[in-house]
Amino acid sequence: MRPVRSVASVVAFVSKEILEVVRSPAAILSLTLGPVLIMVLFALGFSGYAPDLRTVIVIPPDSGLPTTVGDYADAAPGVEVIDVVEQLAPAKALLEARTIDAVVVAPASLQENFATGKQSVIDVLINVSDPIGNANAIVVTRALSAELNRRLLEDVARRGIEAVKAAYPDVADIPPEVIAAPTKTKLANVAPVEPSVLAFYGAAVLAFILQHVAVSLIALSLVRERTRGSFELFRFSPVSAAEVVIGKVLACALISTLVAAATTLLLTRVLGVPVLGSPLLLVLTVALVLAAALGLGVVIAVFSDTERQVVQLALLVLLASAFFSGLFLKADLFRPLARPFTYLLPATHGIALTQDVMLYGWTKAPWHFAALAAMAVILLVGGSLLLRRQLERA
Amino acid sequence: MQSDPAAVVMEGASRSFGEVHAVRDVTLSVPAGSVLGVIGPSGAGKTTTMRMMTGGLVPSEGTVTVLGEDPRRFLRRTRERIGYLPQQFTLYPYLTARENVGFIASIYGLLWFRHGRRVRQVLELVELWEVRNRLAANMSGGMQRRVELASALVHDPEVLFLDEPTAGIDPVLRSNIWEELHRLKSAGRTLVVTTQYLNEAEECDLVALISGGRLVAFAPPEELRRDALGGHAVEVETEAPFDARQLTGQPGIIRTSQTAPNSFQVVVDDAGTATPVVLEGLAARGVDVTSAREYVPSFDDVFATLLERHAGAEERGQGEAAA
Repeated sequence: MRPVRSVASVVAFVSKEILEVVRSPAAILSLTLGPVLIMVLFALGFSGYAPDLRTVIVIPPDSGLPTTVGDYADAAPGVEVIDVVEQLAPAKALLEARTIDAVVVAPASLQENFATGKQSVIDVLINVSDPIGNANAIVVTRALSAELNRRLLEDVARRGIEAVKAAYPDVADIPPEVIAAPTKTKLANVAPVEPSVLAFYGAAVLAFILQHVAVSLIALSLVRERTRGSFELFRFSPVSAAEVVIGKVLACALISTLVAAATTLLLTRVLGVPVLGSPLLLVLTVALVLAAALGLGVVIAVFSDTERQVVQLALLVLLASAFFSGLFLKADLFRPLARPFTYLLPATHGIALTQDVMLYGWTKAPWHFAALAAMAVILLVGGSLLLRRQLERA
Repeated sequence: MQSDPAAVVMEGASRSFGEVHAVRDVTLSVPAGSVLGVIGPSGAGKTTTMRMMTGGLVPSEGTVTVLGEDPRRFLRRTRERIGYLPQQFTLYPYLTARENVGFIASIYGLLWFRHGRRVRQVLELVELWEVRNRLAANMSGGMQRRVELASALVHDPEVLFLDEPTAGIDPVLRSNIWEELHRLKSAGRTLVVTTQYLNEAEECDLVALISGGRLVAFAPPEELRRDALGGHAVEVETEAPFDARQLTGQPGIIRTSQTAPNSFQVVVDDAGTATPVVLEGLAARGVDVTSAREYVPSFDDVFATLLERHAGAEERGQGEAAA
C-alpha cells in the first residue's frame, strides 16, 4: 500500500502543477509563447553580418593609384568605399564626426620610395569604441591595405615588365597581376549544410531558452510553495520530502518537455533548421539539458527566500549563459583560466551538442553528454537533499 | 492498551528565538476526545505553542508528545491520524475548491477513488459544495479559509490542530464550524484550536490562556470563570435599598459588592448551596427580593481579570526578587 500511496502523492503533485500552469495565462505566455516569439523575432531580425565599414581613401596626387570610387568597389569584403579624396583633413573631419568609420591614406611618395628601395606606410584611421567592432575594422582595413599593396605591386610590375621587355624581348610574358599576387584563395565549405545564421543560432537558442524555462519554472514553483506556507503543511503531512521533490521535478520536467517539443517543432518545421543527426541524440541532448537545468533551479530555490530573488538569480544565470555558454562568443575566445567556468553552465554543453547534432549530424565532443548527465545528477541530488532539509525544518 | 489517555502532552515546554522567549514553561495535557482552546492576545505565543505540538518547532526546553510520539519523529501512519491547519497556509489560486481539497486528500494518503465522497462531505460541511468548481483566486478571504478548513478535515483525523480556523469568518459560519468541531469531538476526535475570539472559549472543554509566552491559566471554561471571580457570583435586586455589607460573614459568602442602592453582587463558594442561605438572610432582615440570579461574566471580563491578576503577580514577584 505504501508504494501506491507514494505514487499517488507524486501524481497529485504533477497534476496540481500542470493545472496551475494551464490555468495561469501569464505562465503560459511566458513559458510557451515567450520562447516561440523570441525564436521568431530572432529568425526574422538577425542577419549575423556586421555592416560594411564606411571608408574614405586618401590618394595623394601623383601616387599612381586609381582615384575613382568605382576602382575600389570590390577592394575588400566588409568595406564600402564611399569617397576617394586627395587631402587627409576633410576625410579626418568626417571620421571625427562619425560620419564614416575609417580613413585609408595611401603614401604620398609611393613610387619614389619604391624606386629607392624604401617601404611606404599606409595609414589607416578608425573611430570605433566597440572592441568587437574595432577588431572587425582592423581585419577589413588590413584587407583593404593588402589590396592597395597588390595594386601598387601590379603597377610596378607592369612598368618593370615593359622595361625588361625593351631590353630583353625574349623574356617570358608574365602578366603583372600574377607577379603582384601569384596566389589567390578559393574557399570551399565541406560542412554538411550551408552555415546559415538562423540554423547556427537557432540550434543554440534552443538549448539556451530551454535552460531558462526549466530553471525559472521549478525555482518559482518551489519558492511559491514555501512562501504560501505549504512547506509547513507538507512537513506535517504523511507525504515525504522525497515525494514532494520528485513530484515537483517530474511536473516541471513534463511542462518543460512540452515547451521543448513546441520550440523544436517550430525550429525544424517552420523555420527550416535541419536535424542532420539522429533525432534520438537530439532528444537525449534536450532531456539532459532539462534535467541539469531543473537541478540548477532546485538549487536556486533553496537559496531564494522570495520570488523576486528567484527572478534575479535566474536572470543572472541567463546573463552568464549569454556571455559564457557559446551562444555568441565561443569558449575558445576566453582565457584558459576562465574556460572551466563556461563549462559550469548546462547551456554551454547543450549549445555545443544541439549545434553538432542538428548541423553536423554527430558530435566530436561526446563528453558533453557525460558532463550534462553529471551536472544533472549532482544538481538534482544535491538540490533535493538541501530542499529536503528545508522541508524538514519548515 | 495505551497507558496515557492524553492525546497531547506538554511538559515544561519553552521555545526561544535568540534572546526572545516566545513561550515559557508550558505544561498541559489534553485528554483524547476533548477540545483545547489556546487563547490569548495577538503575539501571545499561541502559534508557537501549536507549532511545538505539530513538530514545526523543537522546544528549547521541555517535552511535547502527541499520540504518545515526539512530533519531530512522527511515523507516517501517525501523521495520517493528525490534521493541521496552519495559520499562514494559503490555497493554490489556480485550483478550484474541489481540486485544492482533493490535493490535500492525496498527500494525506487518500487514494483518488476514495476522494470524491469525502471531498464532497467536507465541502458541504463548510457550505461550499455549490461553488466547488470556483477557482480559489476568485473566492473571498472567508471562503478561502473555509476551503482550508475543509482541507484539514478531509482525511478525518483523530487529532486536529487548527491555528485560528475562524479568523475572518462571519459569526453564523463560525457557529457552523464550531458545530462541526463539536461533532468531531463527539466522534472521539481531539481538537486543539487557537483563537483570538475570547468568547470561543465557551466552546472548549479546556482553555489554555496564554499571555507574554506564559500559560496564565489552564482549566475548563467554568473553572476559569470561578477563578476570575473567586467563586460563583449571585446578582440580587431588592425592593428597597439594602447595604450588602450586612451579609458579610454569613456561611458560604466570600464577599459582597454593591452595584446600586437596590442591587448588589454576592460571591459565594457554590451558587447552588449558598443562594438559599443568602435569600434566608435577606428575609430575616425583612428585605423583599425582586430577583436573584447567577451572574455569568463574559470571557472578555474573565480573561481581563485573569491577565491583570497574572501581571500583578509577576510584578510582585519581580519586586520581591529585586528586594
